[in-house]
Amino acid sequence: MELRYFVLRRVLLIIPTVIGITVLVFILLRSFPDSLLVSAYINPHSTLPRQEQIQIAKEQLGLNLPVPVQYFYYISNLLKGNWGFVTKPFPGPVLLGIELFMPNSIQLAIFSSILSILLAIPIGTYIGSRPNTFADQAGRVFSLVGYAMPPFVLGILLILAFGQGVSNWGGAVLPFNGVVNVPTPVPHWLLNQETGFIISSPTHLVFFDALIHGDPRVAWSAFLHLVLPVVTLTYTILAGLLRFIRAGMVDATNQEYVKTARSKGVPEGMIIKRHIRRNALIPTITVMGLLIAALLSGVVVIEILFTYHGLGWFAVTATLDNQIYGVLDTTLVFGLILVFANLIVDIVYAFMDPRIRY
Amino acid sequence: MAEVNVFKKNVEPQKRNPKLEDMKHTMKLFFKNKLAFSGFVVMMIYFFIALLDFVYPQYLGVTNANTMLSFLYGQQPQLVPPSPPTLSKGIMYIFGTTQYGIPVLPAMLAALKFDMAYSIAIVAIGVAIGMVIGTASGYLGGMVDEFMMRITDIFFSIPQIVLALAIIYTLGDNFIFIVVAFMIIWWPIYARLSRSLALSTKEMRYVEAATASGSSKFRNIFVHVFPNVLSPIFVQISLDIGIIVQLFASLEFIGLNRGNPYLPELGILINWGNQYIVYGAWWPIIIPSIFLVVFTIAVSVMGDGLRDVLDPKLRR
Amino acid sequence: METEVKQSEVKEENYVEVRDLVTQFFTFKGIVKAIDGVDLSVKRGEVFGLVGESGCGKSVTATSIMDLVPDPPGRIVRGKIYIDGFNIISDLDKLAQIKVKSETNVKVKRNKRLIKRHNYILSKIRGDKVAMIFQEPFLALNPVLSIGYQIVENIMLHSRIDIINSIIRRETLGEDGVDELIQKIVKTKDYDERRRIVNRWSREYGVPDSDESIYDLINTSEDINYVKKELLSLLAEEKTGIDLQPLSVAREYYKADDELFALNLNLIEAEANRNESEAEHLRQQISQKRSEMRSKFMSFTIKHKLMRKRMDRPLEKESRRRALELLNLVNIAGPERVIDSYPHELSGGMQQRAMIAMALAANPKLLIADEPTTALDVTTQAQILELIKELNVVTGSSVLFITHDLAVIAEMCDRVGVMYAGNLVEQTSVKEIFHDPKHPYTMGLMRAIPRADKKRSADQKLESIPGTVPNLITPPSGCRFHPRCKFAMDVCSEKKPKLVEVEPGHKVACFLYSREYVGEPAGEAQ
Ligand SMILES: Nc1ncnc2c1ncn2[C@@H]1O[C@H](COP(=O)(O)OP(=O)(O)O)[C@@H](O)[C@H]1O
Ligand code: SF4
Ligand SMILES: [Mg+2]
Repeated sequence: MELRYFVLRRVLLIIPTVIGITVLVFILLRSFPDSLLVSAYINPHSTLPRQEQIQIAKEQLGLNLPVPVQYFYYISNLLKGNWGFVTKPFPGPVLLGIELFMPNSIQLAIFSSILSILLAIPIGTYIGSRPNTFADQAGRVFSLVGYAMPPFVLGILLILAFGQGVSNWGGAVLPFNGVVNVPTPVPHWLLNQETGFIISSPTHLVFFDALIHGDPRVAWSAFLHLVLPVVTLTYTILAGLLRFIRAGMVDATNQEYVKTARSKGVPEGMIIKRHIRRNALIPTITVMGLLIAALLSGVVVIEILFTYHGLGWFAVTATLDNQIYGVLDTTLVFGLILVFANLIVDIVYAFMDPRIRY
Repeated sequence: MAEVNVFKKNVEPQKRNPKLEDMKHTMKLFFKNKLAFSGFVVMMIYFFIALLDFVYPQYLGVTNANTMLSFLYGQQPQLVPPSPPTLSKGIMYIFGTTQYGIPVLPAMLAALKFDMAYSIAIVAIGVAIGMVIGTASGYLGGMVDEFMMRITDIFFSIPQIVLALAIIYTLGDNFIFIVVAFMIIWWPIYARLSRSLALSTKEMRYVEAATASGSSKFRNIFVHVFPNVLSPIFVQISLDIGIIVQLFASLEFIGLNRGNPYLPELGILINWGNQYIVYGAWWPIIIPSIFLVVFTIAVSVMGDGLRDVLDPKLRR
Repeated sequence: METEVKQSEVKEENYVEVRDLVTQFFTFKGIVKAIDGVDLSVKRGEVFGLVGESGCGKSVTATSIMDLVPDPPGRIVRGKIYIDGFNIISDLDKLAQIKVKSETNVKVKRNKRLIKRHNYILSKIRGDKVAMIFQEPFLALNPVLSIGYQIVENIMLHSRIDIINSIIRRETLGEDGVDELIQKIVKTKDYDERRRIVNRWSREYGVPDSDESIYDLINTSEDINYVKKELLSLLAEEKTGIDLQPLSVAREYYKADDELFALNLNLIEAEANRNESEAEHLRQQISQKRSEMRSKFMSFTIKHKLMRKRMDRPLEKESRRRALELLNLVNIAGPERVIDSYPHELSGGMQQRAMIAMALAANPKLLIADEPTTALDVTTQAQILELIKELNVVTGSSVLFITHDLAVIAEMCDRVGVMYAGNLVEQTSVKEIFHDPKHPYTMGLMRAIPRADKKRSADQKLESIPGTVPNLITPPSGCRFHPRCKFAMDVCSEKKPKLVEVEPGHKVACFLYSREYVGEPAGEAQ
């Protein structure tokens, strides 16, 4: 019952944040001259004269009106799906790019966060319940290195160790370029006709689409291409998670209720699993939001390193190619993804900690 | 908790100067933590190199520190393949060369100065803005507080690199603006931290007493709240410096900082080296990476150690 | 769990006996000699009070009794703790070697295998034989687990056999059981008596929820056969039709487990007595028992590992019933609601009640209450004290009651021990302690309490004892009270007084009562 109200409240709290993000993006957008904003809307192949196109675009964006009103035009354009246009990496509407590239990023983020959580909980429990032993020290060094190493450096090291870099000394092991080895001839579902990119349909995730279309070789290749980026991101998040779970375990171990559990005769194993770990995970969940933000930052960098065509790659190429809508719209999308992820984290938090459901 | 208090009361006899004794004790605890202490030593070494390079650039063979090209001593930049580590050409070539035939060692040493300078500048400005806003909003409460927290929420709701991309794209893609972008991104962290600290200090008895005795709100903030906020902020800073250098390198790695492509900076060096992996040249990338990782490990280890001794909850 | 362990050296009347207990904390500032040679005993069924200023080691004594001292930094260094005749720390020296190089440099080398066994033994004793309630219920209850879970957990740990028995009794309840009830009922016409009979019976047969309807049914008609038929059909509804076969296997398993535990206790005792031949024999028995259990209960243990949740569900359901009963017993209003709530949703008094219910879950014979009311407000305090006293009478279990409040001692306890700086300085009955305190520290305490019943004359002011509780890293030599003692003699700073019986049932640790150092008894010296 109360949990439902908490969730509702938390969902409502999203609204000001989302508005804030749109305001921030709008401010960044408005700091460019009108001509730049409009020029992205001009289609050189159109039959309409250039001047007329400019006029139409200005009207659409509300550029002749006062700035606060322009904000409402901006919002209504967003809601209508009019997110602007880019000429690179493909000529077309930004929304199409977001639709095509986002699944890859989400896939990386979700795979690596699930993997890191699955690893972090048992490892963190293990090392956190025997502080200052050898296992603990090893775990701490492991997480310290992961915490101190930027994801791209780790990615490079992994490429050197397992990627084609090794091929100089013999045999390639894991691919580190792109999303899949494109077979010839290119299957129709693997290539996106509108943009000419290797973006499969219908899910835009090559691995799953290959399974849908019954092509195990492509699926296997797609899977191999996922390994290095996912491992890199997993390590980054795992390092952070381990730090917090360990600290949480050590902290919880010193609480009174653990003494109570001992006084009841609960065996050590159960104390760790039931009494300590539940409590140790709670502070970890509170920093999960920050870790997910770091994960998304990592996704951007990793997509560049591995030329994995995702939203981060799209955002960076847009920046480097001066595609104004490409940059700012992806910022907005990343913001929305993070807000959503934080919402989920908070709901999980409420599930775990009965104290905050009020 | 209660036990610990009892314990403290009994074991510590009357101190002469509690503040000073406390400082001494803190220092002792910190230096006892070997890991934190070695982190501190490594950081001091880095810092010293940076300082040396700043004061006597010629010692490291760098005459003009503004661009990496100065390592070529007047030659035109040419795309020559990197040469492997050797001692025959002198100590400067011990780690080989990277793009344009620039020797890796002096480039790294010169890079340190920039990395140190900008990361310190970013946290300094971030702290200055964040602490004032955070402390004030925590202390004043009400609408001001609510509004400030919603603002910081926005900054926490966009992944840092993405936000940096957008801001840098808007301001212009060069070194200075990257630094500015980071300042814009970083202040909310300190604002939040000092707000929560201010909130907890506000309840403390001596602040209440000061308010009761009629001293003004702003005087209270400066005299009572600020000093208590400082030490956790200090810990946060030491943890942040490593992350800032990391993120800076990441941004350069993905191709930003087009305004200063020859800036001596670790991220740029790593980025250059990355092009040569496929040719089997490992040194232009591995060595600067190690240099960077050692630095971030050192600062974060030091930060952890600091937190352990400054946080009364962790301190034993 | 009844074990055959009996040790002749412990008096049968003493449920807990602590001898020469030394507990220390190895901190980086030095060794805190928190408990320094405490002798103490709690008799079966009594309320024993432990009183002293804060920081004098009451909590450490209490936690030592269950070997709950936080390690690191603390350890029991020496001593014997007999619980129900069994010394739980007989293998103390083997568990860990403590090498004291200097005050701040102490190395503890632990024997992992033995510690594992020690923990196994303790986990069966804690909660089952001795239970504890703590000062701050809010901290002592796990915030993320429901009250119900925390009580059920305790029942499931120690009373599985009872639980299974009551399920089986309910499920196999037939004419015999009903006849037994009716026989008893017809003997009396008193409704209250009938109600009590029904209540006891329904509890015994695991149908406490039908209590009311059985009672109503019995009073509807005088026709025994009709009542019997109706009762049987009513009770048939209670039966869940659960498969009893796995339950009885489980019961056998837990019984065998208890036997194994008893063998382990015997082994530890034999080891402590350096009785090698018997120890060897017991070891063989244990390993034989183990392999026997392994082969006999193979499918049970495997199933239990794989489907723990499903197999424990009927037991948990039954435990939950019992938890509700316990909550009723400690007078919690609305136990159905409380059982599913979390600690933060309850008031301090309710939390402490829940805590007591939890402690009583496995019918321990000793309840240690460490300042159970200090964190509560005054009215709740009185209620909780009353509850503890009442439970002591109802359940017949002893209570070790720790407090710094002498007024509470007067109200609650049968006998009292007075602690000062890690020593038990006086131990006697409550009456004696107030009328004839012997130790100078106790006398000081008595003078420090305001008394309403006696009119104070002008010179009879409230006094406090001068000085403060000493630092226990470098405690005063000899009698630890000597820097604050009005009667201190030369010998007091040199030698440590032993706790000796100066009058029947009145023990004091003070040289004033030793003829060797003082000519006449101290009573007159005052
Ligand atoms: N965890 C601990 N670490 C170090 N010293 C402790 C610890 N717990 C208790 N002590 C010491 O043991 C002594 C007795 O404490 P305690 O039993 O809690 O007193 P009280 O009589 O108030 O319950 C105190 O002097 C305290 O310094
Ligand atoms: S032994 Fe001596 S110092 Fe201790 S209480 Fe007795 S008289 Fe006082
Ligand atoms: Mg206490």
